[in-house]
Amino acid sequence: MHPSDGTLRRSLDEPVAVDRARREHIATCARCADRVRSMSANSAWVEAMLTSSDPVVDLPSARARLAGNELATLDGVPAQRSARAVRSRRSWATRVAAGVAVASAASVVLVATGGAQDFLSLFQPSQLAPVPVTAADVRSLAGLASYGTVTGGSSIGFIPEPDAAAAGSAAGLGAPVAANLPEGTAAPKFAVVSGGVVTFTFSADLARAMAARAGGQLPAMPAGLDGSTLSVSIAPAVVVSYGVDPATLLNGGSVPSGAAFLVVDTRTPTVSSTGVTARQLEDYLLSVPGIPAGVASEIRAIGNPSQTIPVPIPIDLASGSSVSINGARGLLIGDSTGLGSAVIWQHNGVVYAIAGTLTTTEILGIARSTH
Amino acid sequence: MVESSTLQALGSRRLTDLSRPTPEVGVRPTSFDRLFDEEYARVAAIARRVLGDPDAAEDVAQEVFLDLHRRFGDNPGAKAPAWARTAAAHTALNMIRSNRRRTLREERFAPEPSLANDPEASVETAETTREVRAALTRIPRRQAVVLALRYSGMSYAEVASALGIGVNGVGTRLRRAEARLRKEVGDASV
Repeated sequence: MHPSDGTLRRSLDEPVAVDRARREHIATCARCADRVRSMSANSAWVEAMLTSSDPVVDLPSARARLAGNELATLDGVPAQRSARAVRSRRSWATRVAAGVAVASAASVVLVATGGAQDFLSLFQPSQLAPVPVTAADVRSLAGLASYGTVTGGSSIGFIPEPDAAAAGSAAGLGAPVAANLPEGTAAPKFAVVSGGVVTFTFSADLARAMAARAGGQLPAMPAGLDGSTLSVSIAPAVVVSYGVDPATLLNGGSVPSGAAFLVVDTRTPTVSSTGVTARQLEDYLLSVPGIPAGVASEIRAIGNPSQTIPVPIPIDLASGSSVSINGARGLLIGDSTGLGSAVIWQHNGVVYAIAGTLTTTEILGIARSTH
Repeated sequence: MVESSTLQALGSRRLTDLSRPTPEVGVRPTSFDRLFDEEYARVAAIARRVLGDPDAAEDVAQEVFLDLHRRFGDNPGAKAPAWARTAAAHTALNMIRSNRRRTLREERFAPEPSLANDPEASVETAETTREVRAALTRIPRRQAVVLALRYSGMSYAEVASALGIGVNGVGTRLRRAEARLRKEVGDASV
């Protein structure tokens, strides 16, 4: 019995995988030999046509590029994402692109506060709730792309600086100085997160199309709403890193053992609008039929500082609490294990934040010595 | 201002995993990290066979891993390597079909170095290469995929695993694919 074509073909590439009896048959059967010759000719032709050397892959670069792509895809992506997808993206993209994530940090404060006057009033534990919205999500305002045009989100960059003076000069803001550092803390490194303006321009046509897809109609539209804009102005931020290089994180590196943390300051971001007020725009968008919950969260995060702080705390993270930092009220996130804590506060129009592998006691000690 | 994604990078990845026994400090690689390290070059190689262009192949690899992470998250599971390899072939074939990078590919479909001194041969080779790759999109997709996988260096067992078929079926599909591609290109000797 002649072997199958599949076996004959495999005998060309992996002869040892063909049992001995079949090999002997192929070697002595004129019919099979003819078929093998034909297959061999085709194989050689395809090999010649498709031959090319393997690409030289630089894995760290590829990993960094992937992280960048991950963030870039948030721009203009339709909003219908599951919470699982959002959380999943966060766990990958923000980890490997932490350096870039720093660049978007100010936007969270921005969207959380909307302005300096409202900032302090937000720091109430009852207002702190986990929201599955990442800083990158908010920065790109991805979900809003279905209702208008978002521009400017990708212009924010992360720039290493040689020292505190250079960083302060570049940011137009003094670098934060922390005195009460844990014993053995590594020397600081400095960087500046450039500022930027993210603008959303509402489109009645797009909103109408979204409403239609959801099987509804647009509610009555306030005068001047179509084409109105909402702009988020993010100030440059100074990032001082201890024991960890944000650029390493950007390239997918791991956080080294021991204390590793960032101290950041930036001026309070501002929100402005044209056409209608930010609140009017937000209220209207929230009334559009079919708006996904995640997008609603993002919208709430933009212009309404009186509700939930959209700090994307992992769902099972320990709770936040209100703390006092040298007379200013702040928000402390974390626990006593030292696996991770963060504190955010504002003083004289400057927002400060510290985050890292520290206990809450350690991080509060640093915060209260920072100016 | 640091938001919690940075916090997460610095440690709250651990915080999200407090219920797990992970006593050491630092971020441990996920299954996705390992998969990326182990499979990225292979995925790029598969795309390279289809596209011919290394840069376009890396574009495909990026797309594949973005999609893989969207679908499967940080712990993609045992079937993910096979999924990634097959996705590489499909994505590369789709790229040809959609002509998304046609201009770039045409510029970069360089002839083999040995032919570079003969301009006529170079042009002919480049045209043939383009035609073959275009033909890949005209033959049945499963045949094109088996060619991409096999000619990127995967064994019959690996191809079988990626395609979810028996190893005995690989030779059959491969033989048909080779003959069909050659016929599609119109090689007179077929």
